[in-house]
Amino acid sequence: MIHTPLSRELRKHLGAENVLSAPSELAVYDCDALTIERRRPDAVVFPRSTRHVADVVKTCCRHDVPIVARGAGTSLAGGCVPSEGGVVVMLTRMNRILEIDLRDRLAVVEPGVLNLQLTQKLAGTGYHYAPDPSSQGASTIGGNVGTNAGGPHTLQRGVTVNHVLGLEAVVGDGSIVRLGPVEDPAALDLVGVLVGSEGTLGIVTKIWVRLTPDPQDYRTMRVIFDTVEDAAGAVSRIVSAGIIPAAMELMDQGILAAVEEAFHFGFPLDAGAVLVIEVDGPAAGLDRQQQQIVEFCRASKAREIMQADTAEQRASLWKCRKLAIGAVGRLSPSYAIQDGVVPRSRLPRVFRRIAEISEKHQLRIVNVAHAGDGNVHPIVLFDENDPEQVERALAAGSEILEECLLCGGSISAEHGIGVSKIDYMSRLFGDADLEAMRRVRRAFDPAERLNRGKVLPAARRNDE
Amino acid sequence: MMNDELGMTTEILPLTETISPADEAAVAAAVRDAHRDRRAIYPIGGGTGLDYGARPSRPGIGLSLGGLNRVIDYPADDMTITVEAGITVAELFRVLASKRQRLPVDIPQADWATIGGVVATAPSGPRRYALGTMRDYVIGLRAVDGLGSAFSSGGRVVKNAAGYNLCRLLVGSLGTLGVITQATLMVRPVPETSALLACDVPDLDTAERLLAALIHTQTVPVAVELQAGSFPQDTPILGPMSEGNAARLIVGFEGTAAEVEWMVERLGEEWCTSGVSLAVTVDDPEAGPLWRWLTEFSADVQIRVRPGATTGVIGRLLELAPQCSIVAHAGDGVIGVHLCALEPAALTSLVTQELRPLVEEVGGNLVVLSYPEEAELTRQEIWGPPGSAAAVMRAIKDRFDPEGILNPGRFVFDEPNVR
Repeated sequence: MIHTPLSRELRKHLGAENVLSAPSELAVYDCDALTIERRRPDAVVFPRSTRHVADVVKTCCRHDVPIVARGAGTSLAGGCVPSEGGVVVMLTRMNRILEIDLRDRLAVVEPGVLNLQLTQKLAGTGYHYAPDPSSQGASTIGGNVGTNAGGPHTLQRGVTVNHVLGLEAVVGDGSIVRLGPVEDPAALDLVGVLVGSEGTLGIVTKIWVRLTPDPQDYRTMRVIFDTVEDAAGAVSRIVSAGIIPAAMELMDQGILAAVEEAFHFGFPLDAGAVLVIEVDGPAAGLDRQQQQIVEFCRASKAREIMQADTAEQRASLWKCRKLAIGAVGRLSPSYAIQDGVVPRSRLPRVFRRIAEISEKHQLRIVNVAHAGDGNVHPIVLFDENDPEQVERALAAGSEILEECLLCGGSISAEHGIGVSKIDYMSRLFGDADLEAMRRVRRAFDPAERLNRGKVLPAARRNDE
Repeated sequence: MMNDELGMTTEILPLTETISPADEAAVAAAVRDAHRDRRAIYPIGGGTGLDYGARPSRPGIGLSLGGLNRVIDYPADDMTITVEAGITVAELFRVLASKRQRLPVDIPQADWATIGGVVATAPSGPRRYALGTMRDYVIGLRAVDGLGSAFSSGGRVVKNAAGYNLCRLLVGSLGTLGVITQATLMVRPVPETSALLACDVPDLDTAERLLAALIHTQTVPVAVELQAGSFPQDTPILGPMSEGNAARLIVGFEGTAAEVEWMVERLGEEWCTSGVSLAVTVDDPEAGPLWRWLTEFSADVQIRVRPGATTGVIGRLLELAPQCSIVAHAGDGVIGVHLCALEPAALTSLVTQELRPLVEEVGGNLVVLSYPEEAELTRQEIWGPPGSAAAVMRAIKDRFDPEGILNPGRFVFDEPNVR
């Protein structure tokens, strides 16, 4: 065991069992799901309480070392890489569900609670927690708060920020702030700013989330198209007509092949794209909505429309969608998932451009998309061991984001900026816009100690 | 001056002059000059919220945003709209209605209120129960900070995880971090129809029983309202509360005709099982005036508590001020109280000695929305005591408006020089 003054002090506050500092133990905390960015931290701590987190932050202030707070590490933008070393705060052992109150439609959880853990706990109550990222079996609610995570069912119900009523957080100087859960007109909406700040403004230690009533009934459809453009056209038609389904997910031929090979769901392998569309709510309104959707899909040249008639069929369709990204591992030794968003009417254009980029760089790109939100997740397949392919993969990813910007979109819808997209921030925002964000950053964390080097590019000189 | 034309008064603001810039650049220039001279700036939209918050602390320049009233972009297929801050809510609603779309937030005095003012003050109404508040719909903003520098936040897409969500920070900040010049809003389709179902109940315990039962309703209400106390004028459509009853529960639905019809019938059955003998249904178009009445109810004190504490707090309120009228967004624990021309001294003592301790005991908060000059309430008595985040809020304010020239005195912030 290595005893530095820093690790000694951390052990004093947290107990030896909650602190790691031997190099061999630290290696696994050097990255998140974006594995091309790595750096080993100086220590890893496992706080059990808000008090612990505050002690860690104060200790790091005294020793002037950076801090990276993280959950399960499923993020895709390098948001929890300790890129400047320092202390990694693992919140996975603060994993208690503290309260479920149906009368007030809220639950209180610690940040390390898994998204799915809350869903399972709520089963049978008639309520659920709406944000459902595909990583929900592994990702923590604290991490979801950090990236403002979305998911298929956020089309109608909104992303994480729309479901967080209150937060407790430790800010840059180690002090504890409590916000909500009762909305306070006498306060700035700091909850709204903390959600999606990727751990750069505070370390969230407690979360009050809104619970959503389960819908009375569902209609879930699987619609097959010959081309991705036709599928994207159908999405545009449906939304323009004023129908907002609960979810509207797109998978293209490339990803369907991988899913089919892995799980044998019975998709036709020659389909250009599949939409999974779900409407929910009072049963009285569903048949007509479904009928309208079917008409719009037919008008967009849908080849086949199948309805999930049983709960098993519905579960199987969703399983297929949620396992899709994992199945990509069968296609390629390495892959990079991109996260871009455009106004929904630009979806057909974006998919055409992605196909051109794939052609140009001679790399296979497969697509999943939260199509109803205009949120695309092109997955670039490459071989990490071939430096030249890595170059091309990076170039392709960059050109996709370029296109999203040209369409009036954004460089991330739900994965965040982390380190991987930090260079694009000055393309999306002007100097004054970034400066406004830096002011908020310094108000929470004057030393910029929390997750240093993430989200915001360094200010140009003489900016101050 | 525009506000006089609208019949609004700006008397409540200590204005030395009022200027009406034509565009954002002119707004920025005016704020830059004011920053240089350390003069206060009071942004003015439709003049409907000028008495919101505490009284201004010093004389300054009125900045009327009425000249910035254009629709910048309305890609209806994307269900977003970008407008300048001075456009009236009524005009915005008209533009959206032409495409059968809407901003599903209930906004009082829509004919005068401007979208900039609405962003600054974040009003909400009955539909917030299912549809949320302004913070859920503002996806992009432009504003001029206290140094006179224009900045933007967010964008024009409905889902965005790039950088900090400064839109949320500015919504409800009462213009103290920046003068709002432009907003991009996420909009929604107009539902086919709406209806309200109301019942009068003998006491608040019964009201709580019905509210608690709504947790497991098969229906999907968009509004859950509770009316209690004394009302000098009858509620439109529903009329006075029936003899022997103390409160009225009003539940609103929206959707297709088939959905709404089913939900009204279904909730009626659920209430019947709970012992409600008489429920009144108000369908469109009669529902319109009732929705408006619920939206326009003018509270001078607003209390927020966890939803389950609503009826308990209302019960105590009626003991302390039997003459008051109350309309609560009960599903959200937002209680609007009209104190019916209480004497200023009595108002001050009721708010500071009785109501605030009562509300804080259940973890809620209280804001005085409107009060007579003679009530002599301090800023803290109006907004409540500072919370654990006061230092962070102060640090944000100091960075966006170092000279404290934006709406000084009105929001929770002390003046920088008297700290």
